[in-house]
Amino acid sequence: MSTQPCAIVGIGQTQHKSRRWDVSLGGLVREAASRALEDANMDWKDIDAVVLGKAPDLFEGVMKPELYLTDALGAKGKPMFRVHTAGSVGGTTGIVAASHIESGRHKRVLAVAYQKQSEGNAQFALGSGKGASIGAGGAFAPYMRSYIHRSGAPADIGPMVAVKDRRNAFKNPYAHLKIEGISIESVKASPMMWDPVHFLESCPSSDGACAVVVTDQAGGEAAAKAGRPPAWILGTAMRSEPSQFPGRDPVRPQAAADCAADVYKQAGITRPLDDIDCAELYVPFSWYEPMWLEGHNIAALGEGWKMVERGDTEIGGAFPVNMSGGVLSSNPIGASGLLRFAEAALQVRGMAGEHQVEGAKVALAQAYGAAAQYFSMWVVGSSLNPLG
Amino acid sequence: MPQFTESTIAFPYKRSLGPVIGAFMTALTEMRIIGIRSDERVIVPPLEWDPDTGVELAHDFVDVGPAGTVVGWCWVSAPTVQHPLDHPFAFGLIKLDGADTALVHAIDVAGIEAMTTGMRVVPRWKAARKGHITDIEAFVPGESPAVPAGDTGGATEPVTMMEYDASITYTTPVPTNVIRAEEATEEGRFLGLKCPECGRLYTGGRSFCPIDTLELSPSDEVDLPQVGTVTNYTIITPVQYAGQTETERFGRVHVLLDGVDVVLQYQALIDYPVDQIHIGIRVSAVWASAGEDDSDNAAGVANLIGWMPNGEPDNEDPELVDRIN
Amino acid sequence: MEPFDDIAIIGWSVSPMVRKTDKTEAQLLLEVISGAVDDAGITRHEVDFTCAGSCDYVAGQAFSFVQNIDAVGAWPPKSDSHVEMDGAWALYEAFLRLQLGDADIALAMGSGRSSTADPSIIYPMEMDPYYLAPLGADAASFAALQARALIDGGQVTERQMAEIAARTRRDAKNNPHAQVTGDFDVDQLLAEEYLRAPLRRHDLPPITDGAVAVVIATRAKALELCERPVWISGLSHCSELHYPGMRDLRTSASTTSAAKAAGIENGPVEVAELQSAFTHEEPLLVEALGLSPDVSVNPSGGPLAANPIMATGLVRVTEAARQIRDEGKHRTLAHSSSGPCLQQNLVCILEESA
Repeated sequence: MSTQPCAIVGIGQTQHKSRRWDVSLGGLVREAASRALEDANMDWKDIDAVVLGKAPDLFEGVMKPELYLTDALGAKGKPMFRVHTAGSVGGTTGIVAASHIESGRHKRVLAVAYQKQSEGNAQFALGSGKGASIGAGGAFAPYMRSYIHRSGAPADIGPMVAVKDRRNAFKNPYAHLKIEGISIESVKASPMMWDPVHFLESCPSSDGACAVVVTDQAGGEAAAKAGRPPAWILGTAMRSEPSQFPGRDPVRPQAAADCAADVYKQAGITRPLDDIDCAELYVPFSWYEPMWLEGHNIAALGEGWKMVERGDTEIGGAFPVNMSGGVLSSNPIGASGLLRFAEAALQVRGMAGEHQVEGAKVALAQAYGAAAQYFSMWVVGSSLNPLG
Repeated sequence: MPQFTESTIAFPYKRSLGPVIGAFMTALTEMRIIGIRSDERVIVPPLEWDPDTGVELAHDFVDVGPAGTVVGWCWVSAPTVQHPLDHPFAFGLIKLDGADTALVHAIDVAGIEAMTTGMRVVPRWKAARKGHITDIEAFVPGESPAVPAGDTGGATEPVTMMEYDASITYTTPVPTNVIRAEEATEEGRFLGLKCPECGRLYTGGRSFCPIDTLELSPSDEVDLPQVGTVTNYTIITPVQYAGQTETERFGRVHVLLDGVDVVLQYQALIDYPVDQIHIGIRVSAVWASAGEDDSDNAAGVANLIGWMPNGEPDNEDPELVDRIN
Repeated sequence: MEPFDDIAIIGWSVSPMVRKTDKTEAQLLLEVISGAVDDAGITRHEVDFTCAGSCDYVAGQAFSFVQNIDAVGAWPPKSDSHVEMDGAWALYEAFLRLQLGDADIALAMGSGRSSTADPSIIYPMEMDPYYLAPLGADAASFAALQARALIDGGQVTERQMAEIAARTRRDAKNNPHAQVTGDFDVDQLLAEEYLRAPLRRHDLPPITDGAVAVVIATRAKALELCERPVWISGLSHCSELHYPGMRDLRTSASTTSAAKAAGIENGPVEVAELQSAFTHEEPLLVEALGLSPDVSVNPSGGPLAANPIMATGLVRVTEAARQIRDEGKHRTLAHSSSGPCLQQNLVCILEESA
């Protein structure tokens, strides 16, 4: 995309939980940020700009929190930026941080995204304080119902995704939900939340933060020489479309297809299923896994659920998805997008521990927001030219 | 004639304090003010990280005060509901003895004439303290703080949480097209607006077409049918939160109007058991009667309470479910 | 650090500035976006990247920016972003984006309906949630504390503050986008009651509803489309620590840093449009920027004449640009700010030639 490559050299995240009552807001972001710095072998003074992202401030009741968080993020004397693009914001945070490097204007940038949902109430915030909030699940239920109809997918596909992601979560020490003995049966037996989505197919409400340190080519190469392989950004893209108008397809949004086409082109990806080794996609409700596989043209129309059914999206499968447990296992909304981006980077650095996909060289990350109308995606690689 | 609506966003937030702020708040209950050491300096109120370098600070707390010097102040002649006092007071920057930074707090004196930079003040403590910055009711002139009558003593356990009630009332303009749509319902009409460029139809008094970014004007108004078909739905099990109005499961349906390319989203379905909601139900619009308050209506269309099944046989078209927009 | 490419402002549009608009934020943006693309001689479809600045708590709704996307014309879908900051920072994101080589034209916007609610009730929410917000410590109170520090330090007098109030509102008479204009007598102003001593009503900005949009382009595109592009020769921002009691309120170190990073030392500045929303902030910022006395400050009237929060800073950029494009100036400066007592500051330096 640009002539100044960008490397991810540090990644950190918090222990995601429903209530991180052991820390202040600053403490939460600091936990992720200091881990990222440690991973990058850097100190606070090495960072020359900070990008903060989170979803609506109504969640915590702190407006423009970058002001108060200046100290927690060591941002005194530095430029500090705050992005907000609904659920995709975590991804946008990563992309904006990358553009700080790619533009040649900064050398080492800290990107942090968080949400401390336990301080407020998610349904309250999503509905702007009005009664009868339908929440995200309620808003997406019609879309998922439409997908099931269009694709002919059997009813078990959603529960299969839920089980896969929660089992993956046991391999991720930071994941929020660790549901022992989860099975398709237990998912189907759990209460129906927003028909067709059961309780055990829905994301939790989490407190959590994620941080990433990005640097330029020289910094990336230095990290590699020092035995700390970076992830290289091969492409980034964002797309937005209006919420509602006759002719809009929110199940298979145009913005989803366009965003993917843009990022694939930048990364030299012509056959996503073959060229990409694994993906972290924003799946807050189980059916979104096959929906995004199709929506981003990884699977052909109507084939996304078949990938799930075949086990392709398991860690050992042909196209692993959400090896970390994904949004279904941890969802601090503002951070979730950056968690996807960070987990993809961990994969190509070979640092995903128990949930590592063997030999992963190219990974895709995606986040989306609002009425499935905001998209941010990036592709990372173990080198600048992993596809040869 | 411009119209405005009011809405209030209010929520009782519950914050966890972490170890440093928690220690400060606990000390407040004991009528102590503490700072935190960072190299040679004592920072008040204590931060978890040095504000200049960002370095994490060891929990090396230092008692400061009880008295301090006012290094800056301003006079609040008309307090807001959020201010700590309900009569005129000063906000001050107070450098407590032993501190290297100034605490922001209220100073309670009779009038502006009593304020000077350099004056000495002490905290006036509340009798019942809970571990909150307002355990100090305000600072007052003096060197030694008084023990409040009815002092209930310090917290028996470390304070780890605090509450914050935020309430803001907003006024928002009601767009002209919304007003016109509302007035039209009084004549029994359901107004839509047709974009002169692309021909798309919009409801809810939308101000402009987002595709052509063209303003929609009265000449673009059309009458829409008031009958349609349920194409899709969502069933909500309500969660309780401040401001929640629902206690029972409720449904919201998408309605495709007859003969036009218009789908209304997340509409209320009236007089129909939640468990039986399905695709294909034939419905008719239900409007608020004159004077009826419809401010809670889910429809996004003025005076539209929702949709009621009209008894016609279901529409069995299997493709209906895809009509979300 | 040198930018890869020269970026220029090629068009802009500012909405009417009023005490209370009857338009929604999306309507305001629709108008200024149309105005800006017209001014630039392009259509919305030719814009490669858009970035908006707005604030949920000012708008009174979570995800408030989502409705605003309707005004952008995001169909086919647009490469688009949003910052919960003044439009001047949206400009920064767009500026960075154009450096990447694959996009030529970007649109930055800011929208602020500040009449939505009482600012003294909203702004405590942006303060430290444990130590400051629960005191209801509002922006005007913090501004007053800073004013007191400057007065006590001999850097400004109440009379000088009143003179700034009078001068800006007088200059604003020439500005069709100003809200508070007129001739005010300094002695009469000083006879008024204090609102937040040492601040009187005239020392505070008005409550304003308004929006602004700016089109920027890379070098080749700017030269192709525009007769008199206004070149952004520097754009930088910097933050200070948050808690006002821990800062020296008599200086604005982050303004000095941002200005230096933006290249202020590379040449003289003829006009400075500063986001000095309170009168005392003007001499503080002038000092921090090292501006000589012959620099014309806020000839538009500045925020004291119109203060559409979340758009005010970007409006300063358009005013500084106008001085070059329409008033024959060669090098001008725009400044924006966020947070209590000028916690974060952004400096933009504009030039007639690249």
